[in-house]
Amino acid sequence: MSRQPLRAIKVVAAVTIVLVTAFVPVAGQAPAAKSQWTPARTPDGQPDIQGAYARAGIYGLAPQQMESNGPHGAENPLDDTAYSRLPDGQRKRGRSDESLADSPQPQGEGGRAVPLAGPAPPGPWRLGLVDPPDKVLPWKPEEDKKRREFLMHTNPAASLRYVEFDARCALPGLFLNGGPFQFIQPENKVLILSEYQHYTRTIHLDGRPHLGSGIRLFMGDSIGHWEGNTLIVDTTNFNEFTSFTREIPYLSDALHTIERFTIADQNNIEYEVTVDDPKLFTKPWKTAGLYRKAKPEYEITEYACAEGSQTLLNMFGTPPGQ
Amino acid sequence: MKRSGPVRFAVAVIVLGSAPLMVLAQAPVAAKTSSAAARKLADGRPDLNGIWEAVNTAAWDIQDHGGQLGIPPGLGVVEGNEIPYQPWALAKKQENFANRKTADLTETNCYLPGVPRITYMPYPFQIAQSSKAIAFSYEFAHALRVIHMEGEHPDPNGFLDTWMGDSRGRWEGDTLVVDLRNFNDQTWFDKAGNFHSDALHVVERYSLADAAHMNYEVTIDDPKVFTKEWKMSMPLYLRMDNNARLLEYECVFYKQEEKYKNAPFKK
Repeated sequence: MSRQPLRAIKVVAAVTIVLVTAFVPVAGQAPAAKSQWTPARTPDGQPDIQGAYARAGIYGLAPQQMESNGPHGAENPLDDTAYSRLPDGQRKRGRSDESLADSPQPQGEGGRAVPLAGPAPPGPWRLGLVDPPDKVLPWKPEEDKKRREFLMHTNPAASLRYVEFDARCALPGLFLNGGPFQFIQPENKVLILSEYQHYTRTIHLDGRPHLGSGIRLFMGDSIGHWEGNTLIVDTTNFNEFTSFTREIPYLSDALHTIERFTIADQNNIEYEVTVDDPKLFTKPWKTAGLYRKAKPEYEITEYACAEGSQTLLNMFGTPPGQ
Repeated sequence: MKRSGPVRFAVAVIVLGSAPLMVLAQAPVAAKTSSAAARKLADGRPDLNGIWEAVNTAAWDIQDHGGQLGIPPGLGVVEGNEIPYQPWALAKKQENFANRKTADLTETNCYLPGVPRITYMPYPFQIAQSSKAIAFSYEFAHALRVIHMEGEHPDPNGFLDTWMGDSRGRWEGDTLVVDLRNFNDQTWFDKAGNFHSDALHVVERYSLADAAHMNYEVTIDDPKVFTKEWKMSMPLYLRMDNNARLLEYECVFYKQEEKYKNAPFKK
């Protein structure tokens, strides 16, 4: 279950942060251009991005991806029938809806609003699918056909394989999560902690190689480096149990992602991820988002999922012998 | 650390040139000095960063116990070995022991095991420590604790209880002291049925013994269950394996794959 946020005001912490950041030029209503922002450094020389964040949508796919070019057109079994009968252009799809991709407002899990430290950078924002420009994912035709066939069995789920992974409280992969997150930077590492599903991504900056191909992970194996104010993260070793949205219910174990976290200003990190999955797509594609810093007193807290979930029992009944 | 252009190249040269000293992740810790004093962050705090693991059998039973099929024998980690249960609670512990194969939610359902149990389960955990934050990440069930170095425990009347407790940390000299409250009453201390209530108050003390070992001491207080405070203590070992890193033990997922492999079931 999700917890209410702890909102204890920590005056000492807030004052300290104000003092530490006081030398930074404040650009008033217009955030400084990224070239003018000089982040503080960690003791090992990394640009310091530590703090809590929420992420604005990377989901936004093109309407044609979800509709005419999407899984099922008007008979999309992912939606209730009333939804399916709506004319094109009147459908809203929660976090997958393209309109969310136009907003820099993060969509946290469970509707939990994260109090933000400051305004978004000036728009227009690069949010949602940014490459290819026509916003049509480069599916291999035979894989798109398999995906559509797969989706026909998801509601109701025909078997365990057709249950969305986030409904199983599984690790969500890199995509299905709007935060809140917390970044920590020990020496030679960047950690991204997630409240949702309480997972940790450890990004190694010490030049070590990726794990051997025999180890497959829900969250992949991440190595990275800084180029100026951009953290570049290369992730491989995924298992076949990671999804992007409900419309992309699985990616393959050939998935390879390259993420770019570019510091935009003191409160925002521009995010872009290249999704390269040669088993499913003819070429890599890119989606973009925005990490927005939370107020300094904000704390991530416990999100216990499996401990309260009745989802599989409700779907499938009680396993024999239980 | 890599930087742009020529600077990055220069850094790479320096790293390569001093490889025996710089490649910490691949080098055995013994190659560094072995004293705890050498492990310091830039802010002067002891550097607890790394992947750690307990090497004992407390996960099965925190008290002295002999071997059984599937249960490795071991000396207990409870100081004095006796746990000061109230009479009703001792009876409850014995009932838990009798029902341990079905009543331990961590064992049966992979639920979060609470603290300190997760520390001495046979899975590694990673401490990430910067001058601004400390987090403990566990391989078992990808459990995560942020050690809040500011603020106080939430008011239990306005804040739901948690599986892993609310961790508030402070430094006492070179010891990281973590105070935990806001637990639920669902977790056990081990597979042998040792238990607590939602009044549990845990104080953990982490202190470096040398560059590759920590002393881990835990004080347990629960006025609903015990007659007085009691303690556990054990060493924690730095994982020195080449390329050591935390992987995933996705207990919940594996359980689902087993329990629901023939789903759907007739209701």
